[in-house]
Amino acid sequence: MPKIAIDPITRIEGHLRIEAQVDGGKVQDAWASGTMFRGIELILKNRDPRDAWAFAQRI
Amino acid sequence: MAEKGSIYEALKRKGVSRREFLQFCSLMAATLALPAGFGPKIAEALEKAQRPSLVWLEFQDCCGNTESFLRADRPTVVDIVLDLLSVDYHETIMAPAGKQAEKSLDDVVKNQKGKYLCVVEGAIPLKDDGVYCCVGGKSARDIAKEVCGNALATIAVGACAWDGGIPGANPNPTGAVGVKDAVKGITLINLPGCPMNVVNLTGTVVHYLTFGSLPLTDSMGRPLFAYRDRIHDFCERRAHYDAGRYVREWGDEGHQKGWCLYHMGCKGPETYKNCPAQRWNDRTSWPVRAGHNCIGCAAPRFWDTMTPFYRTLEAVPGFGVETTADKIGAGVLIATGAGIAIHSVARAGVKKYRKEHHIPEIETKEKEE
Repeated sequence: MPKIAIDPITRIEGHLRIEAQVDGGKVQDAWASGTMFRGIELILKNRDPRDAWAFAQRI
Repeated sequence: MAEKGSIYEALKRKGVSRREFLQFCSLMAATLALPAGFGPKIAEALEKAQRPSLVWLEFQDCCGNTESFLRADRPTVVDIVLDLLSVDYHETIMAPAGKQAEKSLDDVVKNQKGKYLCVVEGAIPLKDDGVYCCVGGKSARDIAKEVCGNALATIAVGACAWDGGIPGANPNPTGAVGVKDAVKGITLINLPGCPMNVVNLTGTVVHYLTFGSLPLTDSMGRPLFAYRDRIHDFCERRAHYDAGRYVREWGDEGHQKGWCLYHMGCKGPETYKNCPAQRWNDRTSWPVRAGHNCIGCAAPRFWDTMTPFYRTLEAVPGFGVETTADKIGAGVLIATGAGIAIHSVARAGVKKYRKEHHIPEIETKEKEE
C-alpha cells in the first residue's frame, strides 16, 4: 500500500506532518506528528504564578 | 508567486494613491529617524526599486511575529508589505503544502542565490541534533544554514530568533538559541521584541531599498533607529514618575488616572525600543498606554532577566519623590549635557556610516518645486 507524507502542512500555526496509508484511493490509516517541541511546561516550573499568562500566551 | 516589478507600480495596481504612497514614505523617514526631507528621497528610491524576494522561516515560534507582520497598517499589509516584498515562502500564509511548499523555498534559494531576503521567526534548537524542530524532515539548523547562508541578508524577528527567547529560557530544555548563535558568518540584523513591531521590519527593508545597505546597529545587532531610545525616557506616563504619582494596586485611583506603573513592575527603565512612539494596532496603543507595565520584551534574555514581571525594578536613577525643585533643575542640566554629548557621538557615527556606504549627506531643506 502506498504511503504519502505531507510535511509541512501550511496555513496553520505550528509545525505539522501528516502521513497517510492509501489503498484504492481511500485513506486506510493516518498519522499526525507535531514536529516542534519547546517544553514550555518545564520552563514554567518554579516561576512566579502571576507570569504564567505571558508564557501560556506564547504557545 | 507574486509578479515582479517596481514597488510603486505594484502599489498603483493595488489602488494605493500617490498621496498615500508619499505619506508612507514620510512615515518611514520618521521611523528611521531621518529628517523630514528624506521622505521624497525614499519615494524616489522606492519608485525605481525592484521588489526583492523574501522567504520567511518559522522554527520554535508561536507565530506572534507573523501576527504582527499581518497587522501592518497604512497602507494595509496587502497594499504595502506584501507588495514591497515578493513573499515567496511563508508557511502560515502560503497556498502550497508539503513538497510543493518545499519547492517554492528551493526555487528561491537556487535561482536567487545571494539576492533574496530571509526572515527568521522562532528559536533554533541545537540539543539532540536539532530533533526538536523539523520541517519537511530537515532540522531547523540545517534549513537555517542553507537558507540564511545563501541569502543577501537575514532579518531575525522577535525575541526567540534573537537570543532563544521563550524556548531558550531557563532550563532551556531543547538547547534553543537565536540565529546569531546557530548560524555563523551571515549578514544578520535583529529585531527583538515579543513580538517585533512590523513598522521596524518595514523600516529595515525600506532602508535597504533606499540606501542599498542595512541600517546601523548597536553592539547586539539591533538597528539604532528602533532600539536606541529607552522606553522610560519617551513614556507618556513619565511626568507621573517624575512627580511621584504611582499606581500602587491594580484598579486604584492612580491606575484609573493613568499614573506611572513603576511600582507595578514596569521594565521601561531598563528596556530600549521605540514602542512609545510607534505603538501597535494601527498605532492606537501600546502596553503602558493600555494600563499594563512594560515587561521588557526587547531586552536580552527577558524571560529570565525581566521576570517576575510584577517585581519592582531596583535603584532606577531619576528623580525621587522627595527631590527638591533645585535638585531637579540641576539634574535636568546634567541630563541635557549628557544628551548633547550622546547626540554628537551618534551624529559622528552616522557621518562615518554614510561615508562608508557612499550615502549622500542629508539635505535638511526640502526642495522647492
